[in-house]
Amino acid sequence: MSKIGVFICHCGENISSTVDVVRVAEETGKLEGVEFSTDYKYMCSDPGQTIIKQTIKEKGLTGVVVAACSPRMHEPTFRKACQEAGLNPYMCEMSNLREHCSWVHDKSEATTQKAIDLVRTLVEKVKLNKPLYPIKVPVTKTALVLGGGIAGIQASLDIANAGHKVILVEKDPSIGGHMSQLSETFPTLDCSQCILTPRMVEVAQHPNITLWTYAELEKLEGFIGNFKATIRKKAKSIDENICNGCGHCTTKCPTKKIPSEFNTGLGTRTAIYVPFPQAVPNKPVIDKDNCTYYQKGKCKICEKLCPTGAIRFDQQDELVELEVGAVVIATGFNVMQPSGFPEYGYGKYKDVITGLQFERLASASGPTLGEIRRPSDGKIPEKIVFVACAGSRDPAKGIPYCSKICCMYTAKHAMLYQHKVHGGKSYIFYMDIRAAGKNYEEFVRRAIVDDEVNYIRGRVSKVYEENGKLIVKGVDTLLNAKPVEIEADMVVLASAAVANPGAEELAQKMHVSYDSYNFFSEAHPKLKPVETNTAGIFLAGACQAPKDIPETVSQASGAASKVIILFSQNELSREPVVAVVNRSAPPVYSTCVGCFMCASACPYQAIGEELITDRKGNVIKRVAKVNPGLCQGCGTCVAFCRSKSIDIDGYSNEQMYSEVMALLNND
Amino acid sequence: MNELIQKATILLESNSVQVVIGYGKGSANRTRAIFITQAADCEKLIFDSRCIQNLAVYLTKQEIKKLGKPAIVAPIPVLRSIVQLAAENQIAENDLVVLGVTPESELVEFESFAAIETFLSTHRIEIEGKYQKTIEMIKSMPVSERFAYWVKELEPCFKCYACRSACPLCYCTRCTVENNQPQWISVASHPLGNLEWHVMRAMHLAGRCTDCEACYNACPMGIPIHLLTKSMLQDVAENFGTYGPSLDKLNALSSFKPDDKESFIR
Repeated sequence: MSKIGVFICHCGENISSTVDVVRVAEETGKLEGVEFSTDYKYMCSDPGQTIIKQTIKEKGLTGVVVAACSPRMHEPTFRKACQEAGLNPYMCEMSNLREHCSWVHDKSEATTQKAIDLVRTLVEKVKLNKPLYPIKVPVTKTALVLGGGIAGIQASLDIANAGHKVILVEKDPSIGGHMSQLSETFPTLDCSQCILTPRMVEVAQHPNITLWTYAELEKLEGFIGNFKATIRKKAKSIDENICNGCGHCTTKCPTKKIPSEFNTGLGTRTAIYVPFPQAVPNKPVIDKDNCTYYQKGKCKICEKLCPTGAIRFDQQDELVELEVGAVVIATGFNVMQPSGFPEYGYGKYKDVITGLQFERLASASGPTLGEIRRPSDGKIPEKIVFVACAGSRDPAKGIPYCSKICCMYTAKHAMLYQHKVHGGKSYIFYMDIRAAGKNYEEFVRRAIVDDEVNYIRGRVSKVYEENGKLIVKGVDTLLNAKPVEIEADMVVLASAAVANPGAEELAQKMHVSYDSYNFFSEAHPKLKPVETNTAGIFLAGACQAPKDIPETVSQASGAASKVIILFSQNELSREPVVAVVNRSAPPVYSTCVGCFMCASACPYQAIGEELITDRKGNVIKRVAKVNPGLCQGCGTCVAFCRSKSIDIDGYSNEQMYSEVMALLNND
Repeated sequence: MNELIQKATILLESNSVQVVIGYGKGSANRTRAIFITQAADCEKLIFDSRCIQNLAVYLTKQEIKKLGKPAIVAPIPVLRSIVQLAAENQIAENDLVVLGVTPESELVEFESFAAIETFLSTHRIEIEGKYQKTIEMIKSMPVSERFAYWVKELEPCFKCYACRSACPLCYCTRCTVENNQPQWISVASHPLGNLEWHVMRAMHLAGRCTDCEACYNACPMGIPIHLLTKSMLQDVAENFGTYGPSLDKLNALSSFKPDDKESFIR
């Protein structure tokens, strides 16, 4: 016979202002099997929990219903209280009177009635609850970090320095990401490569880090602590163990006119190439799409010249399976190609470039060795116009968000230009200057005051070429919306930061959620900024939203610390809410008929087979078996099983049915 | 079909199989399923146009399994069921001899289930024009009218479950309708109970039904329940690709393909 305690919480006034909590306690107290019911202002408070604990002990309760807020926050609280009073924690259920009732309805008799109904359904469910015990699963103390930009580098180093193994996977031939392309960094103007490359080398030399460049995630299965990742190591067409990185091949390759990705198309590279001199690893790969041998079957000059004989034209992609306990996604962002803005003339005029291209022009390792020169004729521009928000904050073009980094890097660009081109004139068209950050506002001031950058508040309506000049037509909204026309030599568009092209596909592979712009979503915007909704998968850097370097590095360390916390435990406790295939008395043994359609329906590959044998070991029946370590309790198999042979512990068919019937049998 | 009788005799005499599941003379002018365990009885085997029962249903029955390894007389609908049963892990290749019969009444032997599948690829399921028309007519009805149509059609059902017994794919040890803790599907043969039963039956056959019409043939009240499964076949084909049994194709409803239409949620 059930002895159930019902505890109604006022939630301050959140519930009690629209629900007559006293009546709910009174009415539910009359239900069959309810031994005790009461209401209290804050059930989650210490005195509130004490009421529950004492009642369990005094009345010998067999089940508890706490009618309060969403279980998301306080189910663990109340289950723990029950456990402390000697009751199995899974005999405690929460009825959500706040989000499901008081917050969404006005004060009325119907609202109170609904609250009573909600509690009644759970009273019926709790009657059928049975004690459950947490499932223990081991933790594989190896982390997989996806993306070798500054976020991935920082996360890898932090995890590795805590003593755990890291596998860092980068899709490009070298780690470094966008940061390696930058010239100087705001707000200190220290050289990006100078601060980054030592970190890159540290990664390559760290005994705990295994670095796989030119590799991508193919598949991710499993769950927190126990992921199984499949990595595709793309064929580099060289034997890395033999190659000594002399670079002879890259100088002799006859295919030389391939636009260099690293130099954003402003320079060229060969088909066998190292993306940049400071690359890690500093060993070349063959770009099969552009290699004469792969395309036409003839050439092999690199193979003939290679002093160590490291070229391998027959190398194939390799799929490697890994067991990892946690994943950090640090796949970064991309810069929108502003070709969707014909008014700016990008793609039409050679001297209209993006901010990232300007970085390469200003960089000492860039195609002009750090001199600001026009891509069209190599002349030094005397007048330069920067257009902020080229794409960002423009709902008409599909990007309503602020790309966050452009205000600062545009100020930096103008400043670098002024430093490099004495006597040059620079103009920045802007909407607002967003310089929130340590020393950021001071940096922008410096550009305006010390370096005499002309900030014009207004937008550019058109850029066109006339007599070798780029005519920039815009408006100065601070001067009574006076039209402005500037004859410029070069125009730099601060194009929006967007998600990587493969982001959506990657998110689907990993079962993490993403927003409408394909940036990955955090589990909570404030309190869980580095977690995803999938336990054990964390976010770092601009794959979540546009971010500057300091913020990226902080988040990467945050993600790393979450991984380290996870790895500090030898095993994890999991909710025992998992599917179970039934067993029955002989000669049936189980009503499962072994069609295994549940196995194909299971999103977590948690269903295998089990052979039921007699004492002599003869197989009597082949049935499905759920691996409780892999099962996430989603219930897809339950819905699919025709013979209803699978049930979820804690959410059985019988429990669900009793809840439904409790609602329907409302007199 | 002397050839069939000869083959069956050899199989039993050589003890390659212990039982032959085939068609024999029934009452009046009807045929019935017979289970021959003695070579001498093979003469009782007949095959003609009256043999429409789907014998595959016996392959999963415990009583028949007890008789030993079977050989089964298998015209096209039975072959389809065999492939589907194999895909659902209910029968194994080595535990069965298939005596295939072509639409031209020729005996054909199969090396493997895969060979059956290949044979069937030239004998695809086709939904006859008259059924197409009826299905379209029903689908074009407004919802309330369609509901009333089915309530009326299903009204004679008295839940004898002959449809279930005749269906080769209704092999569950315990049917959902017999699951009484909780009793999701009402056992009573009132309009709601009948509707629940037949809708559930059709849904459980979605992506699996091989259109043998055994359910309709078995129904003592002549209720056109095969219209439900025929219509379901079309729906599955429309949403998830072609219909028909396949050994390696994943079940339409339990598998996901990125190019599934999913028009019901999108």
